[in-house]
Amino acid sequence: MTNIDELYFAVAIAETCVALLVLPRLAIGPSVSDRIVALNTASTQAALAVLFYAAGADRAIYLDVAVWLVSFSYLGAIVWARFLERRLI
Amino acid sequence: MSTVIVVVVAVLAVAGLAFSVSGALGILRMPDVYCRIQCSSKTITMGALPPLVALVVGEGFGSAYAARALIVAVLLLTVNPAASHALARAAYRAGVPMWDGAVRDEVAEQEADDD
Repeated sequence: MTNIDELYFAVAIAETCVALLVLPRLAIGPSVSDRIVALNTASTQAALAVLFYAAGADRAIYLDVAVWLVSFSYLGAIVWARFLERRLI
Repeated sequence: MSTVIVVVVAVLAVAGLAFSVSGALGILRMPDVYCRIQCSSKTITMGALPPLVALVVGEGFGSAYAARALIVAVLLLTVNPAASHALARAAYRAGVPMWDGAVRDEVAEQEADDD
């Protein structure tokens, strides 16, 4: 049982590293759209890391964090796109 | 927990991580925003699905982990294309320039035809 839990922790750490990998694009991205793309990618990877951490630590209450993180990051991307396109609404 | 399940989980997780790393590298290295949106939409979706399947396999289909993993997978598959499309459209309308090596601009050609 501990065997697969360690595997889950390893995957969570690796996904966090992938999320950190796109942060330079978030910092230097020439346009706002570049930054939004990088932020979306980072938050998707962060949600996966939270899912795997919850599975490894046996804490089912953390799972809702991942669901909200994914849904609100994409909601935020759509709102930003609307704002860039025609200044909201 | 049998060894077979651990091996299946490991293989699926490594496959997803390979896709995720390649997508992240694409976001870092691609020349303009439209190429980066392509990396973000396709590669990140494909990089997220195998780890979610790995979670379903590892924790059993009836567990709370599998249910949340499936919810996240459905959300990614439906909302990620919509958000990527909206972002690319907004970037084009806002006038974000294409890469110098781009060979076609089909939206501009279509609008020139319509006029």
